[in-house]
Amino acid sequence: MIDLRCPRRLVLLTLLAALTIAAGCAAEKTRYGDARGVGTVTNGFGSTDLQMIAESMTRSMLGAPVVAGGNLPIVTVQEVKNKTSEYIDTRAITDSIRAELQKSGRIRFAVDAAAMQQQIEELERQQSQYYDPNNSAEVGKMVGAAFRLEGNITSIVKQVKDIKDVYYKFNLQLWNVRNGLLEWSDEKEIRKTTTKG
Amino acid sequence: MNRTWTIIALLVAALGTGCATKKGFEKPGFAFGCPIGDAKVSSMEDLVKLKVMSEGKRTTIEATEMRCTMAGDLQKIDVNLNNDSSHVKRVSYKFRWIDREGMRAWEEEVWKPLLMYENSNIAVSAVAPINKAVDFRLILLSQE
Repeated sequence: MIDLRCPRRLVLLTLLAALTIAAGCAAEKTRYGDARGVGTVTNGFGSTDLQMIAESMTRSMLGAPVVAGGNLPIVTVQEVKNKTSEYIDTRAITDSIRAELQKSGRIRFAVDAAAMQQQIEELERQQSQYYDPNNSAEVGKMVGAAFRLEGNITSIVKQVKDIKDVYYKFNLQLWNVRNGLLEWSDEKEIRKTTTKG
Repeated sequence: MNRTWTIIALLVAALGTGCATKKGFEKPGFAFGCPIGDAKVSSMEDLVKLKVMSEGKRTTIEATEMRCTMAGDLQKIDVNLNNDSSHVKRVSYKFRWIDREGMRAWEEEVWKPLLMYENSNIAVSAVAPINKAVDFRLILLSQE
Protein backbone atom coordinates (compact mmCIF):
# COMPACT_ATOMS: atom_id res chain seq x y z
CA MET A 1 0.00 0.00 0.00
CA ILE A 2 1.46 3.40 -0.97
CA ASP A 3 1.22 6.04 1.69
CA LEU A 4 -0.12 9.11 -0.15
CA ARG A 5 0.14 11.26 2.94
CA CYS A 6 3.88 11.55 2.40
CA PRO A 7 4.27 14.66 0.13
CA ARG A 8 7.60 13.55 -1.40
CA ARG A 9 6.13 10.24 -2.51
CA LEU A 10 3.06 11.97 -3.92
CA VAL A 11 5.20 14.33 -6.03
CA LEU A 12 7.29 11.40 -7.27
CA LEU A 13 4.18 9.42 -8.25
CA THR A 14 2.67 12.43 -10.05
CA LEU A 15 5.93 12.96 -11.95
CA LEU A 16 6.08 9.29 -12.94
CA ALA A 17 2.47 9.34 -14.15
CA ALA A 18 3.10 12.53 -16.19
CA LEU A 19 6.21 10.99 -17.75
CA THR A 20 4.34 7.80 -18.69
CA ILE A 21 1.55 9.82 -20.34
CA ALA A 22 4.07 12.01 -22.18
CA ALA A 23 6.02 8.98 -23.39
CA GLY A 24 2.84 7.32 -24.60
CA CYS A 25 1.81 10.41 -26.55
CA ALA A 26 5.25 10.82 -28.11
CA ALA A 27 5.37 7.22 -29.37
CA GLU A 28 2.25 7.46 -31.47
CA LYS A 29 2.47 9.43 -34.69
CA THR A 30 0.24 8.99 -37.72
CA ARG A 31 1.13 10.24 -41.16
CA TYR A 32 -0.16 9.63 -44.64
CA GLY A 33 2.31 7.75 -46.81
CA ASP A 34 2.83 7.09 -50.49
CA ALA A 35 0.35 4.33 -51.41
CA ARG A 36 2.57 3.47 -54.41
CA GLY A 37 5.88 3.72 -52.55
CA VAL A 38 8.21 0.82 -51.85
CA GLY A 39 7.06 -0.86 -48.62
CA THR A 40 9.74 -2.81 -46.79
CA VAL A 41 8.47 -3.03 -43.21
CA THR A 42 8.59 -6.84 -43.23
CA ASN A 43 9.47 -9.34 -45.92
CA GLY A 44 5.95 -10.76 -46.02
CA PHE A 45 3.72 -10.19 -49.04
CA GLY A 46 3.04 -6.45 -49.13
CA SER A 47 1.35 -3.68 -51.08
CA THR A 48 4.36 -3.12 -53.36
CA ASP A 49 4.32 -6.81 -54.32
CA LEU A 50 0.61 -6.71 -55.07
CA GLN A 51 0.91 -3.56 -57.17
CA MET A 52 4.00 -4.79 -59.04
CA ILE A 53 2.33 -8.11 -59.87
CA ALA A 54 -0.87 -6.42 -61.04
CA GLU A 55 1.04 -3.93 -63.20
CA SER A 56 3.39 -6.50 -64.68
CA MET A 57 0.61 -8.99 -65.51
CA THR A 58 -1.64 -6.33 -67.01
CA ARG A 59 1.02 -4.88 -69.29
CA SER A 60 2.07 -8.34 -70.41
CA MET A 61 -1.50 -9.40 -71.13
CA LEU A 62 -2.14 -6.25 -73.18
CA GLY A 63 0.56 -7.43 -75.56
CA ALA A 64 -0.99 -10.90 -75.98
CA PRO A 65 -2.33 -11.43 -79.54
CA VAL A 66 -5.76 -12.39 -78.25
CA VAL A 67 -6.06 -9.03 -76.46
CA ALA A 68 -4.01 -6.82 -78.79
CA GLY A 69 -6.18 -7.92 -81.72
CA GLY A 70 -8.78 -5.40 -80.60
CA ASN A 71 -11.67 -7.90 -80.52
CA LEU A 72 -12.60 -6.94 -76.94
CA PRO A 73 -12.45 -10.51 -75.61
CA ILE A 74 -14.83 -11.39 -72.79
CA VAL A 75 -12.99 -12.80 -69.79
CA THR A 76 -14.08 -14.25 -66.47
CA VAL A 77 -11.78 -14.17 -63.47
CA GLN A 78 -11.32 -17.44 -61.66
CA GLU A 79 -9.33 -18.31 -58.59
CA VAL A 80 -5.69 -17.50 -57.97
CA LYS A 81 -4.53 -20.29 -55.69
CA ASN A 82 -2.43 -19.27 -52.74
CA LYS A 83 0.26 -21.96 -52.40
CA THR A 84 2.40 -19.94 -50.04
CA SER A 85 2.69 -20.50 -46.31
CA GLU A 86 1.24 -17.08 -45.48
CA TYR A 87 -2.20 -15.58 -45.82
CA ILE A 88 -2.50 -13.61 -49.06
CA ASP A 89 -5.75 -12.11 -50.28
CA THR A 90 -5.40 -13.31 -53.87
CA ARG A 91 -8.76 -11.73 -54.69
CA ALA A 92 -7.13 -8.33 -54.10
CA ILE A 93 -4.52 -9.19 -56.75
CA THR A 94 -7.07 -10.30 -59.35
CA ASP A 95 -9.27 -7.28 -58.54
CA SER A 96 -6.33 -4.96 -59.25
CA ILE A 97 -5.50 -6.79 -62.49
CA ARG A 98 -9.14 -6.64 -63.56
CA ALA A 99 -9.41 -2.92 -62.75
CA GLU A 100 -6.28 -2.09 -64.79
CA LEU A 101 -7.38 -4.21 -67.75
CA GLN A 102 -10.86 -2.74 -67.67
CA LYS A 103 -9.39 0.79 -67.68
CA SER A 104 -7.28 -0.07 -70.70
CA GLY A 105 -10.54 -0.65 -72.59
CA ARG A 106 -9.25 -3.78 -74.31
CA ILE A 107 -11.03 -6.47 -72.34
CA ARG A 108 -14.58 -6.92 -71.11
CA PHE A 109 -15.33 -8.94 -68.03
CA ALA A 110 -18.22 -11.31 -67.56
CA VAL A 111 -19.62 -11.92 -64.10
CA ASP A 112 -17.43 -14.42 -62.27
CA ALA A 113 -18.40 -17.38 -60.10
CA ALA A 114 -17.98 -15.38 -56.89
CA ALA A 115 -20.46 -12.70 -58.00
CA MET A 116 -22.89 -15.06 -59.76
CA GLN A 117 -25.28 -15.42 -56.82
CA GLN A 118 -25.71 -11.64 -56.56
CA GLN A 119 -26.24 -11.41 -60.32
CA ILE A 120 -28.97 -14.07 -60.24
CA GLU A 121 -30.66 -12.47 -57.23
CA GLU A 122 -30.74 -9.10 -59.02
CA LEU A 123 -32.15 -10.66 -62.20
CA GLU A 124 -34.84 -12.47 -60.21
CA ARG A 125 -35.65 -9.30 -58.27
CA GLN A 126 -36.23 -7.43 -61.51
CA GLN A 127 -38.67 -10.14 -62.63
CA SER A 128 -40.89 -9.42 -59.63
CA GLN A 129 -44.19 -7.53 -59.84
CA TYR A 130 -42.57 -4.36 -58.46
CA TYR A 131 -40.64 -3.62 -61.66
CA ASP A 132 -41.77 -2.29 -65.02
CA PRO A 133 -41.35 -5.34 -67.30
CA ASN A 134 -40.43 -3.09 -70.24
CA ASN A 135 -37.36 -1.76 -68.43
CA SER A 136 -36.33 -4.89 -66.53
CA ALA A 137 -33.32 -6.99 -67.40
CA GLU A 138 -34.44 -10.14 -69.15
CA VAL A 139 -33.44 -13.58 -67.99
CA GLY A 140 -31.31 -15.53 -70.42
CA LYS A 141 -29.40 -12.61 -71.91
CA MET A 142 -26.16 -12.91 -69.96
CA VAL A 143 -23.02 -13.27 -72.07
CA GLY A 144 -20.65 -16.14 -71.35
CA ALA A 145 -16.90 -15.52 -71.23
CA ALA A 146 -14.72 -16.71 -74.09
CA PHE A 147 -11.65 -16.82 -71.82
CA ARG A 148 -10.99 -17.55 -68.18
CA LEU A 149 -8.20 -16.10 -66.11
CA GLU A 150 -6.63 -18.21 -63.39
CA GLY A 151 -3.31 -18.53 -61.64
CA ASN A 152 -1.37 -19.31 -58.54
CA ILE A 153 1.17 -17.80 -56.21
CA THR A 154 3.90 -19.87 -54.62
CA SER A 155 6.70 -19.02 -52.26
CA ILE A 156 9.97 -20.47 -51.05
CA VAL A 157 11.11 -19.30 -47.64
CA LYS A 158 14.62 -19.92 -46.35
CA GLN A 159 15.60 -18.84 -42.90
CA VAL A 160 18.78 -19.13 -40.90
CA LYS A 161 19.66 -17.35 -37.68
CA ASP A 162 19.86 -13.76 -38.88
CA ILE A 163 18.72 -14.02 -42.50
CA LYS A 164 15.26 -14.62 -43.94
CA ASP A 165 14.94 -14.99 -47.68
CA VAL A 166 11.53 -15.08 -49.36
CA TYR A 167 10.95 -15.83 -53.03
CA TYR A 168 7.49 -15.37 -54.56
CA LYS A 169 6.38 -16.55 -57.95
CA PHE A 170 3.07 -15.40 -59.37
CA ASN A 171 1.77 -17.17 -62.45
CA LEU A 172 -1.29 -16.10 -64.41
CA GLN A 173 -2.90 -17.90 -67.34
CA LEU A 174 -5.59 -17.03 -69.86
CA TRP A 175 -7.44 -20.11 -71.09
CA ASN A 176 -9.74 -20.36 -74.07
CA VAL A 177 -13.03 -21.73 -72.69
CA ARG A 178 -14.22 -23.17 -76.03
CA ASN A 179 -11.16 -25.19 -77.03
CA GLY A 180 -9.19 -25.38 -73.79
CA LEU A 181 -6.08 -23.80 -75.27
CA LEU A 182 -3.74 -21.67 -73.23
CA GLU A 183 -3.79 -18.30 -75.00
CA TRP A 184 -1.41 -16.38 -72.74
CA SER A 185 0.63 -16.96 -69.61
CA ASP A 186 3.20 -14.97 -67.71
CA GLU A 187 5.09 -14.97 -64.42
CA LYS A 188 6.39 -12.39 -62.01
CA GLU A 189 9.13 -13.22 -59.56
CA ILE A 190 9.95 -11.28 -56.41
CA ARG A 191 12.80 -11.91 -53.98
CA LYS A 192 13.17 -10.25 -50.61
CA THR A 193 15.86 -10.76 -48.02
CA THR A 194 15.82 -9.52 -44.46
CA THR A 195 18.96 -9.47 -42.35
CA LYS A 196 19.05 -8.73 -38.64
CA GLY A 197 21.55 -6.42 -37.04
CA MET B 1 45.53 1.37 -110.23
CA ASN B 2 43.14 4.14 -111.14
CA ARG B 3 40.31 1.65 -111.37
CA THR B 4 41.07 0.34 -107.85
CA TRP B 5 40.83 3.86 -106.46
CA THR B 6 37.58 4.42 -108.30
CA ILE B 7 36.11 1.21 -106.83
CA ILE B 8 37.25 2.20 -103.32
CA ALA B 9 35.78 5.67 -103.75
CA LEU B 10 32.50 4.19 -104.98
CA LEU B 11 32.37 1.78 -102.01
CA VAL B 12 32.98 4.62 -99.52
CA ALA B 13 30.30 6.70 -101.23
CA ALA B 14 27.84 3.77 -101.13
CA LEU B 15 28.53 3.20 -97.43
CA GLY B 16 28.10 6.90 -96.74
CA THR B 17 24.81 6.97 -98.59
CA GLY B 18 23.70 3.88 -96.69
CA CYS B 19 24.36 5.57 -93.36
CA ALA B 20 22.67 8.74 -94.48
CA THR B 21 19.54 6.97 -95.66
CA LYS B 22 19.32 5.04 -92.38
CA LYS B 23 18.76 8.35 -90.60
CA GLY B 24 15.88 8.91 -92.96
CA PHE B 25 13.98 6.00 -91.37
CA GLU B 26 13.32 8.18 -88.32
CA LYS B 27 9.97 9.92 -88.45
CA PRO B 28 9.97 13.63 -87.64
CA GLY B 29 9.37 14.15 -83.91
CA PHE B 30 11.04 10.84 -83.05
CA ALA B 31 14.56 9.84 -82.07
CA PHE B 32 15.62 6.21 -81.70
CA GLY B 33 11.91 5.43 -82.09
CA CYS B 34 11.01 7.53 -79.04
CA PRO B 35 8.69 10.54 -79.24
CA ILE B 36 10.58 13.81 -78.73
CA GLY B 37 8.12 16.47 -79.89
CA ASP B 38 9.92 19.66 -80.90
CA ALA B 39 13.03 18.94 -78.80
CA LYS B 40 16.39 18.75 -80.55
CA VAL B 41 17.89 15.31 -80.08
CA SER B 42 21.05 14.54 -81.95
CA SER B 43 22.49 11.78 -79.77
CA MET B 44 21.53 9.06 -77.31
CA GLU B 45 22.72 11.32 -74.45
CA ASP B 46 20.27 14.02 -75.55
CA LEU B 47 17.42 11.51 -75.61
CA VAL B 48 18.29 10.15 -72.17
CA LYS B 49 18.51 13.69 -70.79
CA LEU B 50 15.08 14.46 -72.21
CA LYS B 51 13.34 11.33 -70.97
CA VAL B 52 14.97 10.42 -67.66
CA MET B 53 14.17 12.28 -64.46
CA SER B 54 15.22 11.86 -60.88
CA GLU B 55 12.98 12.22 -57.84
CA GLY B 56 13.88 12.25 -54.17
CA LYS B 57 17.40 11.08 -53.47
CA ARG B 58 19.57 11.23 -56.59
CA THR B 59 20.99 7.96 -57.74
CA THR B 60 24.29 7.28 -59.46
CA ILE B 61 22.55 4.72 -61.66
CA GLU B 62 22.36 6.08 -65.18
CA ALA B 63 20.29 5.29 -68.21
CA THR B 64 22.76 4.75 -71.04
CA GLU B 65 20.53 3.66 -73.86
CA MET B 66 16.88 3.96 -74.74
CA ARG B 67 14.90 2.66 -77.66
CA CYS B 68 11.20 2.75 -78.42
CA THR B 69 8.97 0.84 -80.74
CA MET B 70 5.29 0.13 -81.14
CA ALA B 71 3.69 -3.10 -79.91
CA GLY B 72 0.45 -2.93 -81.85
CA ASP B 73 -0.79 0.54 -81.00
CA LEU B 74 1.00 0.64 -77.64
CA GLN B 75 4.32 2.35 -77.02
CA LYS B 76 7.06 -0.09 -75.96
CA ILE B 77 10.27 1.13 -74.34
CA ASP B 78 13.58 -0.55 -73.60
CA VAL B 79 16.00 1.27 -71.33
CA ASN B 80 19.46 0.17 -70.38
CA LEU B 81 20.44 1.11 -66.81
CA ASN B 82 24.06 1.09 -65.81
CA ASN B 83 25.78 0.88 -62.44
CA ASP B 84 29.41 1.72 -63.11
CA SER B 85 30.36 1.94 -59.44
CA SER B 86 32.14 -0.83 -57.56
CA HIS B 87 29.24 -1.20 -55.11
CA VAL B 88 25.85 -2.88 -55.28
CA LYS B 89 23.20 -0.18 -55.76
CA ARG B 90 19.49 -0.14 -55.11
CA VAL B 91 17.21 2.02 -57.15
CA SER B 92 13.50 2.26 -57.84
CA TYR B 93 11.98 3.28 -61.13
CA LYS B 94 8.64 4.02 -62.70
CA PHE B 95 7.34 5.32 -65.98
CA ARG B 96 5.08 8.34 -66.26
CA TRP B 97 2.75 8.20 -69.24
CA ILE B 98 1.80 11.36 -71.07
CA ASP B 99 -0.90 11.93 -73.66
CA ARG B 100 -0.89 14.06 -76.81
CA GLU B 101 -1.85 17.19 -74.84
CA GLY B 102 0.97 16.72 -72.36
CA MET B 103 -1.41 15.59 -69.61
CA ARG B 104 -1.02 12.42 -67.57
CA ALA B 105 -2.40 9.56 -69.63
CA TRP B 106 -2.43 7.06 -66.77
CA GLU B 107 -2.31 7.06 -63.00
CA GLU B 108 1.05 7.07 -61.25
CA GLU B 109 2.78 3.72 -61.53
CA VAL B 110 4.14 1.78 -58.57
CA TRP B 111 7.85 2.27 -57.78
CA LYS B 112 9.63 -0.86 -58.87
CA PRO B 113 12.69 -1.71 -56.79
CA LEU B 114 15.81 -2.90 -58.59
CA LEU B 115 19.05 -4.34 -57.28
CA MET B 116 22.07 -3.64 -59.44
CA TYR B 117 25.33 -5.44 -58.95
CA GLU B 118 28.60 -3.56 -59.18
CA ASN B 119 29.63 -2.70 -62.77
CA SER B 120 26.46 -4.11 -64.23
CA ASN B 121 23.74 -3.32 -66.75
CA ILE B 122 20.05 -4.08 -66.56
CA ALA B 123 17.55 -3.70 -69.36
CA VAL B 124 14.21 -2.37 -68.17
CA SER B 125 11.18 -2.73 -70.43
CA ALA B 126 7.79 -1.12 -70.33
CA VAL B 127 4.62 -1.16 -72.38
CA ALA B 128 2.18 1.74 -72.27
CA PRO B 129 -1.04 0.83 -70.46
CA ILE B 130 -3.21 2.56 -73.04
CA ASN B 131 -2.79 3.82 -76.61
CA LYS B 132 -3.55 7.35 -75.41
CA ALA B 133 -0.08 7.29 -73.77
CA VAL B 134 2.07 8.59 -76.61
CA ASP B 135 4.95 9.96 -74.55
CA PHE B 136 6.70 9.02 -71.31
CA ARG B 137 9.29 9.87 -68.69
CA LEU B 138 11.43 7.38 -66.79
CA ILE B 139 11.79 8.38 -63.15
CA LEU B 140 14.58 7.08 -60.93
CA LEU B 141 14.72 7.16 -57.15
CA SER B 142 17.67 6.07 -55.04
CA GLN B 143 16.90 3.44 -52.41
CA GLU B 144 20.27 3.73 -50.67
